[in-house]
Amino acid sequence: MNVSREEAAQALKDIDRANDRIVKLKGYHHGAPFFIVWGIVWLVANSVSQFWPEYQKWVWPGSVAVGFLVSLVLGVMQSRRATPGTRASEQERRIGARIGMTSGVLMVFIVSVLLIAQPQTADAGNAMVSIFFPFMYMAAGIWAGWRLFVIGFITAAAILVGYFWMKDYFDIWMGVFGGGSLIAGGLWLRTA
Amino acid sequence: MDGPDEIIHQSMRLKITATLNALPGGEQLEFNTLKAVLNATDGNMATHLAALEKAGYIAVQKDFVGKKPRTRVSLTRTGRKAFERHVAYLKDLLEGGG
Repeated sequence: MNVSREEAAQALKDIDRANDRIVKLKGYHHGAPFFIVWGIVWLVANSVSQFWPEYQKWVWPGSVAVGFLVSLVLGVMQSRRATPGTRASEQERRIGARIGMTSGVLMVFIVSVLLIAQPQTADAGNAMVSIFFPFMYMAAGIWAGWRLFVIGFITAAAILVGYFWMKDYFDIWMGVFGGGSLIAGGLWLRTA
Repeated sequence: MDGPDEIIHQSMRLKITATLNALPGGEQLEFNTLKAVLNATDGNMATHLAALEKAGYIAVQKDFVGKKPRTRVSLTRTGRKAFERHVAYLKDLLEGGG
């Protein structure tokens, strides 16, 4: 069997392309349930803030805590999907630990920004915390896949439009468009 | 330098092994996912998977999820080594070793 240099070059390109596709796909499938969970958290907490403002103080810490707990369970479930003792399970465990550490760093960053900026209104605080995530998705999307970038772009646009032009309905706007775009984004990632 | 692996070198089989090789050892991929990733048809995919399985390069596992049949494939150790040898051959060829 003879293989020409052109065929060899094409074969190596095909291998690289197959590699990129599967890495991207796995990333999408890993991320999808987390988008859906945090979209629901966002939807519920903002909706309660809009219609029952007296519960706003409780709904945010409560729903964020539930979000973290569910994310933790999802992370553990994903890491257990690989056969124990294989390279797959070791890699999943390492990725899970890194996601956990990254989330910790981001939480400290957000708290630091809030302490420094001292937002004057609840809406400003909500927008300040919320806007951080879609920009992070956009930045990650540049490296990891365009779907992530699109989800981030739409969510960021929804937050900015809501904050500057929908002040009276800001919470429900954030719930429906911010939370909704995350839920829709998560479902979209699952179809990849 | 080893020669090309005639089983792996066929375009679709190369893509199948490259995709499975990108997964960590022991990890399986569902038939439908693999088919979607590679834009292949059912028949085409089944033919090439059968050839790779016959060579001992992949392991095919069939089971049911509820009432739905599920087929999962993974690269065997033999398959991974054959793929690595084939890639080394291709690289050598490009670098002038062939």
